[in-house]
Amino acid sequence: MQVLAAGVVVAAAFAGALRAFVAGHADLSTAGTVFCGVFVQALPFLGLGVVVSGLIAVFVSPERLARWLPKRTGAAILAAGISGAALPGCECGSVPVARRLFGDGVAGAAALTFMLAAPAVNPVVLVATAVAFPGQPAMVAARGIASLLTALIMGAVWSRWGQLDWITRRLPAAHNTDASKWTVFAEAARHDFLQAASYLVLGAAAAAAMHVLVPPVVFTHLAGHLVLGVVTMALLAVVLALCSEADAFVASSLTMLPLVPRLVFLVVGPAVDVKLFAMQTGMFGRAFATRFAPATFVVATLVATAVGLVLVAGGR
Amino acid sequence: MSRETENALLLLLGLATAIITITGVYTRYVKPSLLPWLAAVAVLLIVLALSAIVRDLRRGRDDKTGSDEHTGHAHRRGIGWLIAVPVLLLAFVVPPALGAQAAAPIAITLSPNELRQPFPSLPAGRAPEVSLKEVMKRVALDSAGTLNSRLITIVGFTLKADSGTDLARITIFCCAADAQLGRLHLRGPAAAAAELPDNTWVRVEGTIAPPADAASPAIPTMTVSTLTPVDAPANTYAY
Repeated sequence: MQVLAAGVVVAAAFAGALRAFVAGHADLSTAGTVFCGVFVQALPFLGLGVVVSGLIAVFVSPERLARWLPKRTGAAILAAGISGAALPGCECGSVPVARRLFGDGVAGAAALTFMLAAPAVNPVVLVATAVAFPGQPAMVAARGIASLLTALIMGAVWSRWGQLDWITRRLPAAHNTDASKWTVFAEAARHDFLQAASYLVLGAAAAAAMHVLVPPVVFTHLAGHLVLGVVTMALLAVVLALCSEADAFVASSLTMLPLVPRLVFLVVGPAVDVKLFAMQTGMFGRAFATRFAPATFVVATLVATAVGLVLVAGGR
Repeated sequence: MSRETENALLLLLGLATAIITITGVYTRYVKPSLLPWLAAVAVLLIVLALSAIVRDLRRGRDDKTGSDEHTGHAHRRGIGWLIAVPVLLLAFVVPPALGAQAAAPIAITLSPNELRQPFPSLPAGRAPEVSLKEVMKRVALDSAGTLNSRLITIVGFTLKADSGTDLARITIFCCAADAQLGRLHLRGPAAAAAELPDNTWVRVEGTIAPPADAASPAIPTMTVSTLTPVDAPANTYAY
């Protein structure tokens, strides 16, 4: 606490000097602005996410969720994927929500499916995609289908191979019998915000560094043919860490590329990027994130390529 | 880190968010339409922090019920300090709006005729003001030729290109991370006469020249009739 107080005093004293230093270095100001952009943009969605996760802590116990979900794994995953459409927002909010919903067995797979589906198949994102690709409704359909398939496949993969001991981060014990509903809500929201925001800082910093060190021009020069284009766009989606409501506009401006690699960019981005990887590490644990994120990357890339080749092949 | 420090950081982050929202600095990083959401999240953070502080004070310092949640994660105590980074940046450093060198340049693709749609005609008047983005959209997609031999006014900043001066504007869709640089070549005697340094804000009157080659991505060209330096707008991005 004393360290923080001292830090605030020092920062206030040297604010002018710091500002001048940053303004004098073009790369540093760009990185700072991109960092603030990613962080400030994510903040409201993270706020919405922790409000939802606080409400879940109050009203949805794991037992109750298990009662609501269909008993069969397949049906539960499908229900979770489709209900992803109900949380309109970016991907940052869905990580803490999924962590709260996460439980044993069927509920675990369903929560992860929800986490991957929510940022990609909600109406806000699909409308943004339609606006960004005027006259190409196939692109919207392909994005929705490929993202939903990725979420469903990852849910099934988790229920088949996932192991609970990879989840090393535990939520604080909730439901103190004497605590009021407000206390349970506020403690859960506070805990999830601190946890997720710390890792959001890491992810936003990584994205800002990538922006400065690896200009997108490098990638677009590499993207000559299909396989190379798909791989570069998938990697670009991971390092840029764009918001799922904005990525369609960026993809639509990369007109030198065919539609299939651009679809891959739109499907991979909301499912896995540097920011999400950092947040998953924070909310679930490193053992989980280092397995789940690469698997999601491979599945999303392959599914998007396959769906793209069927629905938008040859389009530019 | 202690629970009190976490609460203080949460409060500071809420205050920093409130400050950038009230002062309008947030438009350097995100769209203006995020305003109500940012205000809401600032209130949420401040309420969460204050209510946790009040709760802890009521419980008293010796009663450890409030800190039992720390038992499981001693190994990650340091990570919470990262929240100090955005507080420092947003409240004290306040990075500037993006410059031209930081945005990814976009080239427009001229759409084939079957994808073009007629756009509504431009506002009446001698030289109506049109945004650079709107101009690029119409060059790429308009089938009605609303820009043909029509005098228009565009505001943007100058940027030296290989073959003369360009008029540029940074467009953001969601946040500063997806910024893109739209540009027009300025041609004609009025453009050549103005030997302006980069990043000078100007109001330009002129006509958009029809694209030379209908198939390739292109930067549109504007034939300038008058060019007036203006003050930089408070919010330099277009949306």
